[in-house]
Amino acid sequence: MIEDLLLTRYNYVVVVLLLGIGTYMLIENSNLVKKVIGMNVFQTGIFLFFITSAYVEGGAPPVVEHGGHGSTYVSPLPHVLILTAIVVGVSLTAVALALVVRIYAEYGTLDENVLREVRADE
Amino acid sequence: MTLTLLEAAILLFVIGSAVTAALLRDVLGSIIAFAGYSLGIAILWVYLQAPDVALTEAAVGAGVMTLLFLLTLVRTVRPPSDELLESVGWRGATAGGALAAALLTTVPSLPAIGDPDAPVVAGEVTQYYLDNAYGETEVENVVTAVLAAYRGFDTLGEAVVVFAAGVAVLVVLRQGEFV
Amino acid sequence: MSSNDRPPYVESTIIMTTVRFVAPFVLTLGLFIMFHGAESAGGGFQGGVVVGTVILMLAFAFGIEAVRAWLNPTAILGLIASGVLVFLAIGFGSVALDGAFLEYHAYEQLGIHHASGYGIELVELGIGAIVTGVIIGLFFVISAGFDPAEGEEEDLL
Repeated sequence: MIEDLLLTRYNYVVVVLLLGIGTYMLIENSNLVKKVIGMNVFQTGIFLFFITSAYVEGGAPPVVEHGGHGSTYVSPLPHVLILTAIVVGVSLTAVALALVVRIYAEYGTLDENVLREVRADE
Repeated sequence: MTLTLLEAAILLFVIGSAVTAALLRDVLGSIIAFAGYSLGIAILWVYLQAPDVALTEAAVGAGVMTLLFLLTLVRTVRPPSDELLESVGWRGATAGGALAAALLTTVPSLPAIGDPDAPVVAGEVTQYYLDNAYGETEVENVVTAVLAAYRGFDTLGEAVVVFAAGVAVLVVLRQGEFV
Repeated sequence: MSSNDRPPYVESTIIMTTVRFVAPFVLTLGLFIMFHGAESAGGGFQGGVVVGTVILMLAFAFGIEAVRAWLNPTAILGLIASGVLVFLAIGFGSVALDGAFLEYHAYEQLGIHHASGYGIELVELGIGAIVTGVIIGLFFVISAGFDPAEGEEEDLL
């Protein structure tokens, strides 16, 4: 059972692990920059799920040579979705990092716990 | 698709660098581990026959994203670290572990990797795009055809999101110009 | 361990020479990916990011402030705006010709053959321009950071 899982659905197991690691980083790392890294790890876990679902045994990349009937291709739709998701992801990261820079300028710390204390004192 | 040794090595590298990024106390070390992680993921896309995604991931994940993280570190602070690793916290470990365990129970129900009868691959939408993309859009790369023609309105939305992110960063950092 | 102990970045001959040598090739690759997106792997998003990294690479080798002074802010803004305008013009142009939004075949009545191929190519270039501009912009804005003094002045206003 476990052997079967690892040999035929290994990518999905990796997806699950990456989502777990991402959640851990978001909750446990008190440094805000590391939280943003955790968000990105979680995100790539989901990307891996989509791209794996598009894969087909012996499939070629979806570039059809003049119609290209008859040969096997991987599914192009998840690729498109993830392609745009990556670019939106970098925009999201940039906004998050800008907020981090701003928080540091206002409070002089990036540690979640210290930040909470400073906010409580105000 | 059966698991080859090289793929297993890449998957292990990806998980290993993710764990390293999570546990390293030094933020700079964490960022470098994340850059390695992105590169491993980009190689994985090539194995999964997604060259378009691999190109973007290599340039964005390992390149631009790392630079943005490094710049943030320059603009803020790199906390001094005496120890190499952080101690594992129970709250995060419980939450992450519970999520992973819950999701793991769904994995056996998913189709095997590379199964030609899997719903995504054998589905009507995929077959329509593959059969008609060249005839209808005169573009050989189906990814481009879907991106710019079939889902063109969607892509306009994505472009607007990217533009909005640029404006949001300007607002948050109270600056008037991009350069 | 703190970053203040280390000497500030001095221009390194090795990095500068490498970047000077590699930059034209990366720029060519990025443009190739952008223009060739219809026939092989590539397109606006992918090519735009690669073209954007050329400027980022220059900034890392020759100093961020030097490259910031060299770049024209209007050009970056113009790049982003022209990308959006090209996308919108092609999208609504087909509406003006009694087609749906982005219905490339509507342009064939103007006597343009392969309108669909050219239309997609142009849209991809538009996306590439937006992505390139925004990537460069994000980099320089975050590198400038936040100046609290400036912010307070605005608060008073």
